[in-house]
Amino acid sequence: MFSRHVTKDISAYCHGELSSEASKQFAEHIISCVKCRSRFEEIKLGIKLAERLPQLSAPDHLWSGLEPLLANPQITQSERVTIRGWSWQLKAAAVVLLLVSSLVALSVYKKRFNPPSFKSGEPYWQVTRLDGTPMIGKEAISNNGQLAVGEWLETDGKSKAQIAVSSIGNVDIDENTRVRLLETHDTEHRLELARGKMSARIWAPPRLFFVDTPSAVAADLGCAYTLEVDDHGASKLQVTSGWVALELKDRESMVPAGASCETRPVVGPGTPYFNDSSTEFRAELSKVDFDPDAAARSAALKVMLDDARPKDTLTLWHLLTRVDGNDRARVFEKMATLSPPPAGVTREGVLQLNQTMLEAWRDDLKLTWMGVGKGVPKPIAEAYWRAKNGLSRRLKEMAPK
Amino acid sequence: MVMAEQLISGQVIEACRQGDRAAFQLLFETYKDKVFSIAVYSSGGDRAVADDVTQQIFLKLFTAIRQFRGDSEFTTWLYRLVVNACLDEHRRRRRWLPLPETMAMKNPSERKPQEKQYARREVSEAVQAAIGELKPKFRLPILLKYIEGLSYEEIATVMNCSKGTVASRLNRGHSQLAKRLAHLNNPAAWGE
Repeated sequence: MFSRHVTKDISAYCHGELSSEASKQFAEHIISCVKCRSRFEEIKLGIKLAERLPQLSAPDHLWSGLEPLLANPQITQSERVTIRGWSWQLKAAAVVLLLVSSLVALSVYKKRFNPPSFKSGEPYWQVTRLDGTPMIGKEAISNNGQLAVGEWLETDGKSKAQIAVSSIGNVDIDENTRVRLLETHDTEHRLELARGKMSARIWAPPRLFFVDTPSAVAADLGCAYTLEVDDHGASKLQVTSGWVALELKDRESMVPAGASCETRPVVGPGTPYFNDSSTEFRAELSKVDFDPDAAARSAALKVMLDDARPKDTLTLWHLLTRVDGNDRARVFEKMATLSPPPAGVTREGVLQLNQTMLEAWRDDLKLTWMGVGKGVPKPIAEAYWRAKNGLSRRLKEMAPK
Repeated sequence: MVMAEQLISGQVIEACRQGDRAAFQLLFETYKDKVFSIAVYSSGGDRAVADDVTQQIFLKLFTAIRQFRGDSEFTTWLYRLVVNACLDEHRRRRRWLPLPETMAMKNPSERKPQEKQYARREVSEAVQAAIGELKPKFRLPILLKYIEGLSYEEIATVMNCSKGTVASRLNRGHSQLAKRLAHLNNPAAWGE
């Protein structure tokens, strides 16, 4: 998870050209490295664009232009040694081959890229009714339905449904929920959650599955999570396995298993917190994140810091970039008390938001966030955490076949 | 390589070497679209130039096939001819076509629903234009990957370089495409 940068391997990873081990290291690294993730998004767009490059049809006149050129003495002389009877067979074979090649190319394409199915020319996801009468557009689905790009799936107070997200996972849709399929192709699958609650289990590589909500975008970096959006567009994310990133413009919250994060329209993602943190800590954090009054935010921060445990450095680390002046200095002091910064990370650098230092401290703190003591060697700690969160299985599943 | 191409057996190639015109036609029909596609994208979308390049490639193939001894895969040999012809053409031209005005994208938010079906074609055209603006060393691996469906190993053999170089050039090619067409990073622009 903390290895060297992987930017040079991004295309090879997306094309399944890396070895299983290299692919695993790539996926682990990209979960935690902002720099590589940003580059990953860029290359993914390049791949998505290149996939739009169509094969063209050669014009018919090309052969008629070539034929006279073939009629040179060397070639016509060679014709004498042509095997008798071959010409008509080859001509027939040419016609057959043209038909076969189209069919074979199509089937090879399907096998290789596993593209989504299509409904009226649009890719779609399979929907299964779990309860009641879910609707796709204006049509009720009996047992199974097809959700095409652009279509809404809606459940009322008595209905539930399950969506098969292409071949990469499942999403359960709870009652009173409204979702829309925005995009589905090899490099990106995107759902919009307008309101209600959904639970996702994704076994694809990181940053392949996204959920847009009115106040943030949830990017899958892990296995399983629940996302809920209320009628005002505010949302709450609870991660049960792996990692999820909540993003809005430049604001990002990384939420690990066992933690939650709330979002608000306009503000975007709040600060992540562990579910077992105290009620008071969470109440004060909500003020720090969303209270419009600066004095109230500062007062709430003081109470929070008094109540913080070593594990709550997840919250404090995110706050470093979200508060300023004396408040940032107070956050640093509390963090340094709970978990001193590693070598090379200085107070001055952190207060100036030196990105390298912030990332180094975060990497050091991840052991604490994983619930593993600092004395445990990093490889063992990571292996434990992966096993605990089902990440090993997921990484195995995502390895290129 | 695609299975249909594998149906081009040693017997067909041998017939070509003997100068059998029907065998030539079979070979031509099998590969013409792929060769022509690469030629079009390498000539900045100029189909007249692509016609000439495609004909030259097949003429060279038919006249040089006697020298093909089967040491390498036939397709590798063919794609080497294609790559060399495109590089020669590039050296001759030494200029790239600007993005045609017709390919400039309309603001996606201005699209009416009935226009969405055209949006995908517009994206495709914008990608074709952007591909034409890449340097040949970044463009050719992309064409071999997405038009011919070759693996990194196969591209490395055709371009006579290492697999790592292929990975690196594809990375840079993808990155340049993304930067040039960053305005398309929006579902509305794709007609979605």
